Formats: sequence, structure tokens, C-alpha cells
Amino acid sequence: MEVVKLVFDILAFTSIMVLVVLGLGVIASMMGIFNFAHGEFVLLGAYTVYLFSTAGLPVWLGMLVAPVVVGAIGLVLERGIVHRFYALPVAAMLGTWALGLIIREIVRGLLGGLYYNVPEPVPGSFSLFGTEVSAWRAIVIVVTVLIVAGCYAFMTRTSYGLRIRAALENPALARSCGISTTQLYAFTFAFGAALAGLAGALMVPLFQIFADLGVRFLVQGFLSVMLGGIGTFEGPVLGGALIGAMVPGFQWLREIPGLSNLVNPVFAEVLVFVVAIVIVRLRPYGFIKQGRI
Amino acid sequence: MADDFNEREARRRGVSRRGFLQGSVTAAGAIAIGTGNWVLPAKWAHAAGPIKIGIATDITGPIGYAGNADWNTAQLVVKQINDAGGIAGRPVELYLEDTASNETVAVGNVRKLIQQNQVDMVLGGITSSMRQAIKDPIVRRGRTLYIYPQLYEGQECTKYLFNTGPTPAQQCDRLIPWLIAKGNKRFALPSANYVWPHLLNEYARKVIEANGGEVIFEEYYPLDQIEYSATVSKIVGEKVDCVFNTVIPPGVGPFFKQLYEAGFQKNGGQLACVYYDENLLNVNKQEEMEGLASCLDFFQDIEDPFSQQILADYKAMFPDTPYQFTAGSAASGTWRGLKLYEQAVIATNGDVDRDAVNEAMQTAKIAQGPGGGSEVVPGKWHCKMNMYIAQAHEGKYDVVEKYDMVDPKEC
Repeated sequence: MEVVKLVFDILAFTSIMVLVVLGLGVIASMMGIFNFAHGEFVLLGAYTVYLFSTAGLPVWLGMLVAPVVVGAIGLVLERGIVHRFYALPVAAMLGTWALGLIIREIVRGLLGGLYYNVPEPVPGSFSLFGTEVSAWRAIVIVVTVLIVAGCYAFMTRTSYGLRIRAALENPALARSCGISTTQLYAFTFAFGAALAGLAGALMVPLFQIFADLGVRFLVQGFLSVMLGGIGTFEGPVLGGALIGAMVPGFQWLREIPGLSNLVNPVFAEVLVFVVAIVIVRLRPYGFIKQGRI
Repeated sequence: MADDFNEREARRRGVSRRGFLQGSVTAAGAIAIGTGNWVLPAKWAHAAGPIKIGIATDITGPIGYAGNADWNTAQLVVKQINDAGGIAGRPVELYLEDTASNETVAVGNVRKLIQQNQVDMVLGGITSSMRQAIKDPIVRRGRTLYIYPQLYEGQECTKYLFNTGPTPAQQCDRLIPWLIAKGNKRFALPSANYVWPHLLNEYARKVIEANGGEVIFEEYYPLDQIEYSATVSKIVGEKVDCVFNTVIPPGVGPFFKQLYEAGFQKNGGQLACVYYDENLLNVNKQEEMEGLASCLDFFQDIEDPFSQQILADYKAMFPDTPYQFTAGSAASGTWRGLKLYEQAVIATNGDVDRDAVNEAMQTAKIAQGPGGGSEVVPGKWHCKMNMYIAQAHEGKYDVVEKYDMVDPKEC
């Protein structure tokens, strides 16, 4: 019974992490920049759902609209600001961080700095192998699997995906073949933002809406992309899965007799970073270095 | 080669290094100058000049909701004092500096209050780390009186520093026996890992054990942890009766939700959380916090007419504010602090000399206030005040017990 609960909780958190990392990884791989406003795209997705919820509209509708809204905001920001940073990765980090800061503080102002709950579209829990598990967490797991599969199919099976991969491999050659990398970059950035928006929309009932929701996930998302490696689809997903599993997983270590006094919750949190640093040391290019999709 | 490309690319896109640097310098300048200071000048002249009060609180940053409520409260109290003719005939002038939830910024801004504005008293700081950071610039180097308005972990016995919020004794001495009397014997103390929960738990543990209860576990989590499955599993597995929580937002929302989903309340579990006020009612869904017990010096549900008048005045002065007048955001402590100071300065006949006011503060007393009257315990730097136990019910608090003039038991 405990094992079912353990596996389920780890899977649920892993799913959220993977959703967050997916968009971050796509942008990092494609444009070679780390989008430090990614956390705020997650926040905007969550905020959209919150607005629907306070307006009395169905929460699930907000979840469908959130990726579209955040994708559109991403597109505007890319065309207006972010595309100027592609040749300057360090300035891109600072610039996107600044963008994120502006978005975060605006949302903080709108929320009055407070914390609000957002109800799940599917509340309650159900029994899984004799253990009560949250229905919404189960849905998040299923949706994540579907989205990851969908994204993978999009990248590997469609002609647009082919063009994205071409621009990723060799932008100059892609341009000379008549592929507009400018358009592709704008689309990819908006797509990454939309994924972040969706992640925020799906996770907000599990946590609550507050201005720092995104930042919480940005650091771990960044680490996931480092672990997984840039330039592939699978890399960041794997990295996200590993970080997502370690965060709640290590918390359970103290349930093992003999370890309870050794692994306190703060130590478990630090342990995630220690393991990540060791992996980065052993595999500096990430899990997947070669073999692009 | 790569640099060449980058430079060419940058030029093509119209971003030069110089341009970037210029932009950064402008932005840094705007951030450094800041916008968080404010003055409400005195409305009439007096031979001895106005009494200057400095408010140093978190207008921006993660706990801005509390800081803004405190600033609103200060404006309300000072307006009422001035409307009634000031303190001993002298008008009160109010100065605001933003502590921005950032100790480094705060120390600089507090110095401005003392050196530039030369205030007679500073009230403010919400977190304990903020109090620790600004008390030295105020009390020792600044040689100014300091009032700290927030509920906190106790043990602050600095001369010239008055604490007007509740202490662990005031929050635990009545609440814990009340919880145990309801049949809760097995306690869990899940906590955020910083100074307040550590010291509060130390006190709570003593009270729990002295009353025949038992602490099953006491654990500290990183402040931003939002995943509590292992903790919830332990609480359910160990058959804990009462979760005495000091996990703070953002962690507390998902924690209570996971606890609810695991059936803790359904199986008779009791939640208790001594910092929970009206601001935190929205963190969880109603059913997730049904029955939660809190112990504070003020709740909006209190029927005392004076408390209701304060709420009405606050609402009239700030009709559209999102920042509520609550105990957990230190608004009640701010109100109390300013009114006790008023009484002390009345006693000195308008003299604001630090030692004179300090002397008068020792016996300062107010008959009415949010939640009732209050008085400073002489030589103890803390206040006696009424304490209330309230339980969350259908998304609001119902006050269930009232205790008169509870002793802070500090210093």
C-alpha cells in the first residue's frame, strides 16, 4: 500500500516537472538560450486559470485557453524583445530574467501578494490498489504522457518538425534551403511558452496561485535541462523526470529505518542538487549527447 | 570565429555592447533609487515641531500584503490622532520607508529615517530576520525607540525595543491545553526551517508534554518545499491526532491539500496553526481547512464594538484596498504599538526624548484596541493582551474562546 502511494506521488510530481522542462528544453535546444522567464510563463498559465475560476467560468476551459494566451504572449515577447538576444546567450539570460521579474511583480500586484486556491476540475480521490490517490494528480500524469508523446510525434513525424530540426542542426544551411529561421524561432518560442502555460494551468490546483510559483520550478527546470543535455528532445525530458523523481523520492528516504535521523527534509533537498552536480560532472554534455531526433 | 559571428549577428540585430551597457546602467539606477519612501506631513505648526514617526515595513516583496496593511493601519491611526488634536497638542508626521523584504535594502532605508528624517520612533519590520537586521541601526547606532508589531518567537529583550505582537506563551498557553482537552494527544510539528518555528516549537513542545500530550515528530522543511507526500504519509501512518503546523506559504497550501486528500480530517484529525488569519483563508479550499484552530490577538469575527469600529474605519479610509486588517499581518500590533506610544508621549507631556518616552512606555496602557485593551508589562518589553481561539468554518473564522489579558512571559 505504501509502495503504491510512493510510486504514485513520485509519478505525479515527475509529470509536473516534465511538463515544465519540456518548453524550457525546446527553447534552449533551438535557440541556444536559457529562457529565465520560463517560470513566469508557468505563472501566467496558472494565472489565466485563476482568472477563469474567479470569473465563475469553468476551470477546465481556463486550462484549454491558458496555453493559447501564454503562447501569444510568448510570441509578442519573442518578436519584440527576445529575438535580439539570440546571439548573446549571457545577455539573453539577464534579459529574460528581467522580463520574468516584470511579469512576476505585475502578477504579485494583481494578486495583492496573496495566495489563492484554484479548484480542480475533477476533485476528490479514488482508490488505487487499496490506496486513496488524488484524482487530479492522476489526470496530470495521463495528460503529461499524452503531451510528451504528441510533442515527440510532432517533432519527428511532421514536416514542420523536420524544419525545426533542420534549423536546430544547422541554421545557416536551413536558411539557404529557404526555411525562414526567424519564423521558426518565433514559433518555437511561442510553442515553448504555451507548454509552460499548460504546465502552470495543470499544476495550479495542486499548489495555489502566488507570484513566486514559477521561480520555484525554474531552478529545478534549469537543472533538469543541464542534466538531460541540450539539443535533443529526450534529454531534457529525461532530466526533468529524474529531478521530478528525486525531489519527492528523497523525502521518503527518512522512512527507511536507520536513515531517519540522517536524511532530514532539508538534507533531502540538498541531496537532489548534490546528485545532479555529480551527474553533470560525470556527463558534462547531459544524458544524451549524440543522436538527435 | 564564433565571436566574430556573435558580433556581426549582434550588429545585425541592433544590439551593441555599448547599447546593452547603457540600458543596464539606466535600469540599475532606477532600481537603486527606488520609489518606496513617503511622507504624510503635519497639518499644523507647533512650537516644539511635529512628532515624527517612521514606519519601516515591507511595501514590496513576498510579504508586501502584510507591510501594506501595516502602512494603511499607521495612516489610519495617525489620521485619527491628528484629527483629535495630535499628541499633547503636537501634530504627528508619518514617514514611510520600504524594507522590501530585503535586509540590506532595509538597513539603508532605516538609516534614512533616522539620519535624514530624524524620526522620534520607528515602528516596523515583519519577519524576525528583518527585526534583527534593523534593530541595531535603530536602537544602538540610531539611538531611537523601536516598536516591533508582529507575532514572533519571543526572546527579544533589547532595551528601547517594544514588542506589541503576541509571544509563544500567549499563543500556546491557552491553545494547546484546549486542543488536548478535545482529545488530541498525539501531536506532529511540521515546520518551515527558520528561526520562528524552531523557537515556537521548543515552547509548544513543553506545553504539550506538560499537559499530557505527546510529540510524535518535529520536522523542518526548506521554506519553498511544496511536495509533502512523505510527511502526510507519516502523519497518517503514525495516527497523529493534531497537526500543529508552522509550515508557511507557499508550502502550507499543498501540504493541507495533501493532508485532506489522505483523509486526515475525515478520520478526526485536528489542524492547528497559530499564524493563520483572514488573509490565509483563500490559500486552501474551505473543506481542506475546516476546523483549523488558530490563536491570535484579533479576528475580524470578534464582536467587541470597538474592534468592529476599527474595521469599519479602516474600510472607510481604504475602500478598495486588497490588504486586510488582520493580526497575522501585524496590523493589530501596529495599531497597538502606535496607541501605546501615544499614551507614553501624553504621559511625558509631549516630550519625545528617548529615555523619557521609554520610561513612560513601561507603564503605557490602552483601554481599547483591536481585540481589546492592552498594557506593557513594566521592564519586560512586551504587552499583555486578550487572546482568542478561532476555528475555520465554511471559509471564515468563528471565535470559540476568549482569554483576558494573557501574560507574554518574556524577559
